[in-house]
Amino acid sequence: MTPTLETRRAQTATEVVVSVDHLRVRYGDTLAVDDVSLSINRGEIFGILGPNGAGKTTTVEAIGGLRRPDGGAISVLGLDALRNRQELRQRVGIQLQASELPDKLRVGEALELFASFYRDPADPDRLLKLLGLEAKREDRFANLSGGQRQRLSIALALIGRPELAILDELTTGLDPQSRRETWKLIEGIRDEGVTVILVTHFMEEAERLCDRLALLHHGRVIAIDTPAAMAAGAAGRQRVSFRPSGVVDVARMRELPDVRDVVRHGDRFTVEGTGDLVAAVMESLVRDGVVPLQTRIEQSTLDDAFVALTADADAVVSEHADPTREESR
Amino acid sequence: MTAVAAPSVSTRARPRGFRRLLITELKLFAREPMLLFWGLVFPVGLLVVLGVAGGDKAQKSLGGVKLIVAYTPVVMMFVVTILALSALPAALASYRDKGYLRRLSTTPIGAARLLAAQVILNFGLAAAAVILVALVSHLAFSVALPQQLGGFVLAIALTLAAMLSLGTLVAAVAPTQRIAAAIGSLLFFPLMFFAGLWVPQASMGTTLRDISHYTPLGAAVPAVQNAIAGHWPGTVHLLVLAAYAVVLCAAAGRLFRWER
Repeated sequence: MTPTLETRRAQTATEVVVSVDHLRVRYGDTLAVDDVSLSINRGEIFGILGPNGAGKTTTVEAIGGLRRPDGGAISVLGLDALRNRQELRQRVGIQLQASELPDKLRVGEALELFASFYRDPADPDRLLKLLGLEAKREDRFANLSGGQRQRLSIALALIGRPELAILDELTTGLDPQSRRETWKLIEGIRDEGVTVILVTHFMEEAERLCDRLALLHHGRVIAIDTPAAMAAGAAGRQRVSFRPSGVVDVARMRELPDVRDVVRHGDRFTVEGTGDLVAAVMESLVRDGVVPLQTRIEQSTLDDAFVALTADADAVVSEHADPTREESR
Repeated sequence: MTAVAAPSVSTRARPRGFRRLLITELKLFAREPMLLFWGLVFPVGLLVVLGVAGGDKAQKSLGGVKLIVAYTPVVMMFVVTILALSALPAALASYRDKGYLRRLSTTPIGAARLLAAQVILNFGLAAAAVILVALVSHLAFSVALPQQLGGFVLAIALTLAAMLSLGTLVAAVAPTQRIAAAIGSLLFFPLMFFAGLWVPQASMGTTLRDISHYTPLGAAVPAVQNAIAGHWPGTVHLLVLAAYAVVLCAAAGRLFRWER
């Protein structure tokens, strides 16, 4: 945990609501989840990130009690994910990827139906308003747009007032406007004290919403950290690109301690490196009497971290080919 | 059908919301105009046409009864078959294909309750339709109401158990909703043939009639006919129906899949 998170939650002692210990799930011959361990604290938005086929959905399905693990232990809200399924379903709301409702079911009917399953449901009308669906109350599911279906799906996951909400590929297929609105909504849910597990492959979404992230790759956790720490931890890679006013001594620039590489595209130079890269490059240019024009500086983002970490993991796997290797971070 | 093994049945007390689920399924059913036509309007219309066209005379080729008397049980079986082989598998297969069953399995109600709701709903609708057919026949064409009521109820209940199990089995083995519909209509013709929709059983040759008595609807028609006439349905017919109910229900329970 980073200091920022600790200060934010200083008043309440950290309570673990989900703990996954060496989870393993296979479908026939395929090992969907190899070895996943993580713990999620009450009130945080926990992101599960990874390339396609990394085991993200399987992991959250196991947490939600929808998949029987082949190995490992899962505890959710202090309950066993399989033995206490009924109690768990009362207290965990799950939004699944690509699950539709009957075509002719109306929005209002769907919410009232789902509300009837829970001990202490939220008010369907309030939820409809919150999700901007109040005008769609009488519309049939088949006539809803992709964004409206997605918002209805979120509403159904929240109708039972869950303590934990699992949202899988929440904003896939949404336009940027509705995506931002959905993000606001999720933050609102978190502020009401609901713990959220968010499966996503959108870096921007993870960066904006998540308090912490687990990066999954080939069914294993390769990193768990805050988005900022994870981005910075990707070797702090930076890039400076510019069009020089005069001749650049490429060889000498390559010698600079923080510079890893210099690439030239036409009259544009891109320097890659770490540390105080920008200062070092500028100083070197000034010494040669060259003025950098149209300078662009790119910090490493979560995107870079994602690519770097998954590539590293691939490299390690192919070098050692050791299936018992523990996670590296 | 309650014996169906489900991944999501709770062992606790009655779950919340089952009544609401049942009502919602009924509403959805009422929004299917094709089902309402084939399950209600068409059979009643057919009954009226047969009653008017057949006239008042008993016919030798029908075993000495009026046309409407011979056809009343057949029309009952027609309605049962439309519900069991069209309505039920279409709903179950589409709910599976859409991921609605899976969606419900994340809630306290569980997916198995939706299957139960569908079976109960179609059972109720079929029973209501059978009563409607009996009443129309009686009021419009003075066909006797079932004189052996206990035997009638038992025969109809066994028929429904067998046919709804068959419908669930169709939904279970069909990989998609389309294929479920295709299998359903493919089964419709031989089942209704043996029930006597095109050639009444009384007009069939002996061999054909013997064969038909070992098919679900072919056994149901004489059982119901006997009960209407005031006799206890034949034991063999009832046993045939019960055997189908048990075997088909077990197969449906074993094969039903909750996910695509």
